[in-house]
Amino acid sequence: MRKSILAGVGLLALSVLPAATAAAQTGTAWLHVRVEEARKAEKVSVNLPMTVVEAVLKATPEIIEKHGRIHLGEEHGLKMADIRRAWKALAAVGDAEFVTVEGEEDNVRVARKGDIVQVFVDCKAKAGKEAKEAKEGKEKESKGRAGEEVRVEVPVSLVDAFLSGEGEDGNMQAAVAELLKRRGDIVRVKDDDSHVRVWIDEQNTQAPAGK
Amino acid sequence: MAKLAVILGVPIALLATIASLGVVVVDVREGGPHGNRIVVPVPLVLAQAALAVAPAVTPADKLRIPDRDVLEHVGLAREVIEALAAAPDGELVRVEQPEETVVITKEGRSLKVHVSGSRENVTVNVPLHLALQALPDERGHIRTLALAGALSAVRFTDLVDVQDGNDHVRVWVW
Repeated sequence: MRKSILAGVGLLALSVLPAATAAAQTGTAWLHVRVEEARKAEKVSVNLPMTVVEAVLKATPEIIEKHGRIHLGEEHGLKMADIRRAWKALAAVGDAEFVTVEGEEDNVRVARKGDIVQVFVDCKAKAGKEAKEAKEGKEKESKGRAGEEVRVEVPVSLVDAFLSGEGEDGNMQAAVAELLKRRGDIVRVKDDDSHVRVWIDEQNTQAPAGK
Repeated sequence: MAKLAVILGVPIALLATIASLGVVVVDVREGGPHGNRIVVPVPLVLAQAALAVAPAVTPADKLRIPDRDVLEHVGLAREVIEALAAAPDGELVRVEQPEETVVITKEGRSLKVHVSGSRENVTVNVPLHLALQALPDERGHIRTLALAGALSAVRFTDLVDVQDGNDHVRVWVW
């Protein structure tokens, strides 16, 4: 009798398990943002279906001009044609470290690894009094820079899509379409107090992937 | 006997008709041993009628949003609400602080905002299609008729639930 009850419970659990998994795995891409601030004991998590992100990006008038294009233009000191040419040349090189800056305050590294462009910025922890002030939050400039670590991973295809526009415009629509295919981390920022993570997956919750 | 049946039947039929068309119920319960309970039922049809006749009795400029800056964002708001309505259910936002937790979830065709603190708990349900109809058109006109129509679709919904200490306020559509 006890065995048959256990078997029944087991079968019930097995039948419920796929349904529970299906509830989390929506088949739709979700953009997740998680911000944790240890000092304030505050946690913020945002989960947005990429369709909503797409709607926002398509229609934000201040940033994105009509037809889903970002205007970079010459006001930023770089012509879009130059950026495209440089990117084409870099794409031809394959895996390489494009930029390495080793400074007193931070190290910057921009490299291509497979289909990903990695931007790593490591702010060195300040020594002595400055570091102490940064930790205590006395100096606003120093605050958050002691031991800050930024990891940005951009898929090559995303840059390709963005640069597929014409003239001085970046093609935002194509970039968003490419972003819809992306799964995994996009940005990670970590310092001694806070931790920010932005990623895309197909879960409507942060519970399994966000931890 | 027939007279009595008519006298009783007419108000019962009237009440049944109003109830079948929907009733917004505001239920306030005060805490404590001498706390009062106030229940205010408002027939949904009254609110719908008020919205339907509003353009006829209200000056046109009162039912219009004149701010062009606001109107520029109406399109974005509409697209976001439509995208949200079509999106799968899930937890959209969670803010955890030592004193308070705020959670916004999408459940079916509603956005549920839940704020829980040490003393109070607030839950607000925002039906997405109602929010969509509440948005003005491209010229800034509030579409009261569409809003009146959308109200009938919010039936059997808990709109607001506020628990503050021992006091409890609940607004729902029956």
